[in-house]
This record gives sequence, C-alpha cells and structure tokens, in this order.
Amino acid sequence: MKLENEAALDNLIICHQCYTLHQEVPIKDGSKACCSECGGILYWYDTTLIDKGLALSITGFIFFAMANFFPLVQIEILGHEQFITIPKTIFSLLDNGFYIVGLLCMFLIFIFPLMIFMINMILFALLKLKRGEQWTKDLLILLAHITPWSMPDIFLISILVALVKLIGYAQIHIGIAFYSLIVFVLIDLYIVKRVHISEIWMLRKRIVWEESKA
Amino acid sequence: MIEIDEKKLIPCPICSAVNIDKGKKNTCRRCGSAIYHHTSFSTEKSWAFLITAIIAYIPANIYPMLITNTFGAHDGSTILGGVVLLWEHGSYPIAMVIFFASIMIPVIKFLILFYLLISVKYPIGKDKKVDKHKLYYITEVIGPWSMIDVFVVAILAALIHLSNISIVAGTAATAFAISVFFTLLAAHAFDETLIQENRNL
Repeated sequence: MKLENEAALDNLIICHQCYTLHQEVPIKDGSKACCSECGGILYWYDTTLIDKGLALSITGFIFFAMANFFPLVQIEILGHEQFITIPKTIFSLLDNGFYIVGLLCMFLIFIFPLMIFMINMILFALLKLKRGEQWTKDLLILLAHITPWSMPDIFLISILVALVKLIGYAQIHIGIAFYSLIVFVLIDLYIVKRVHISEIWMLRKRIVWEESKA
Repeated sequence: MIEIDEKKLIPCPICSAVNIDKGKKNTCRRCGSAIYHHTSFSTEKSWAFLITAIIAYIPANIYPMLITNTFGAHDGSTILGGVVLLWEHGSYPIAMVIFFASIMIPVIKFLILFYLLISVKYPIGKDKKVDKHKLYYITEVIGPWSMIDVFVVAILAALIHLSNISIVAGTAATAFAISVFFTLLAAHAFDETLIQENRNL
C-alpha cells in the first residue's frame, strides 16, 4: 500500500468493532457509512453536527440539573414518607461507611456524566466560534478517557429494578427528577451513539481557526 | 511517496486516528497519546486486573449483599440468595435481570477475557473461526451493566431507613463493586492490536 505522506492516513479508518481497514469515501449529508464486514457504523457525515451537539448538550445539562435537585422517587411505608435524590443516594452510602461503593457511584453517576456534558458544551461552543485549537484537542482527549465510565443509563434501569422490588411493600410516587433523568439518559445515549469522538476530530481538522488567520 | 504495510496500521485508542506502528514507543500523530505496544509485557497489566477482579468476585458471592432489618431481626441475602428469593416471590423478570447482571455478565466477561488473553499468546483456536474482535466488543458493551446490582442496593439503602424497617448494604456490595471496576479496567487494558485477524483492505 502506497501513500503520499503521513497526513494521508486521515483518509483511512479502522472499524472499531472488527478492526477492518477502510478507505473514507464522501457520502451524502446526514447519512452514515457502515463497515462492509460487520455492519457497524464507521462515521456519519453531518454538516449541522456542531449546532446539534451544542443544543443537545445544553438541554442535557439542564435536565441533569433538574434530575439532581428534585426528588427521584418518594415512598410511603407504614405511614412514613421517604424520598431520595441522586446526591442523597450517594451521601447515604458514604454516611454508612461504604466509602468505596459511595465514591464509585459518585463518579459513575454524578461526576462523569456532569463532566461529559460540560466538556461537550465547551467543546461545541469553541468549535462554533472557531477558537481554541489546543483547548479542543485537550478536551477531546479528556472526553475519550471519561466516556466509557459514565453510567447514567445503568442507574436509570437500577431505579426501575429497585422500584419493582418495592412494589407490594410500599406506595411509590415517582418524582419530577425521574422524568428528567429519562430525558437526560435519552439525550446522553443519542450523543454517545450518534456523535463519535473521531467525527469531532475530523470536523476539527476541517475548521479554519480564527487565531491562525490573525 | 511512502510504502507501508497494511498490517502495521493501528488505531489510536483515544482518538481512533490511524497510525503506523513504529514499534515500542508509539505516540498518536493526531492527539499525542501514547499507544502502548510493548513486545515484552503485552498482556500482564490486563492479567493483573482480571485476577484481582476474580479474587474480589469470591467474597462478593459469599457475604450478604443486602441486610434487611425488620423489627430488630437481621436478615442478610447474598446475590444468588436474592435471585432465588425474587424467583420464589414470582418476580421473574427482575430475578432474570439481577441474575444476568450480577452472575452471568461477570462470569462471561471473565471467560472471554481469559480466552482472549491466552489466545493472543498461545495459538489456541487459531484455526477455528472465532471472531475475537466481536468477543472483545461484547465484553466492552455488556461490562458496565453488572453495576446494576450495586446501584439497586444503593437506592434501596438510601430509600428505606426507618426505625423499624431498614435496608443496609452488605460487605458483598463493596467486593462486587471492586470486582466490576477491575473487570472494566482489565477490558480497557487489553491491547486489541494483538488480535491479528481480518486485517486487510
């Protein structure tokens, strides 16, 4: 295989599912390219990616804030009322001496999801303004490190499992935060599935930076 | 013009840019992260994490996961005990979810990682058509879901703490969380470029 120079490697792409080597081809706006071997998605081509990403990460951030401030679920047992919020769940673990589990939960369901949405917000805003060439690079690297460790979707399923376990023992009232969390998880899944980090790198390469122009 | 061997192209684990494998000290040309490709210790890190995870998985199954205090009586249930209890109460879907998340997924992950780590060093199953990339991809996708049980315990413990009835997390919760954490680390530490299959354009 012959190439002009090392930069020409950017036209190649390796499928992240089956490691087959592919040549990148231009595709229609808003469509996706799939791997010929395993059918996994290689990349999307979308000119509105920055605007979409910025809008979704801001929306997600608002819903995440709501999911944390309001009670998730409220239960009634023997005339006593109890409610939980996400921070309360974590702090109750820490209070009971489960430091390892508590810290793990704190990172997996609070700090990392929050960081991902903050990074996405800053990243897309910088790309939109065409500023911060070095910053976007650092943020993208940080994002790649954090992404596999964010688990709000698993936490949502866990809440459902816990609630089903409690049916019959207690009266359950579902709070606003639960619905906010559902919206947040859907946005999170959409961003993770739809916006691959390699696409942002590709996008970043096409941008003409304001600083280099001046 | 430069001539390159297709087998020597590796993706950066951080930004997935295609790089030429230059031997021991690789840095990604796009993001600058190190791409580990040791010739002497390629699998040791992953082995260490995997063994830690397996060791932590033993107390996770022996000690109680949930301790229910009702009117002064303590009642602890292990992971398997909890599943059996749920099954007997007739909540089959939940029993299945917990069984898959806490027992099946960790065991499947241990076995797949074991197989992958052995097979990249010794030629076991080389001639058989086993798609190792697919196996690795499966472990990455299903891996985090075993955290369900830990989260469920956390939620129940936070929700139910009355004077008469309370639920407290048990020792197994810590052990299980550690076990899952280390299987995730082991999967991340596994060097996928060691699988030298379907590498042609």
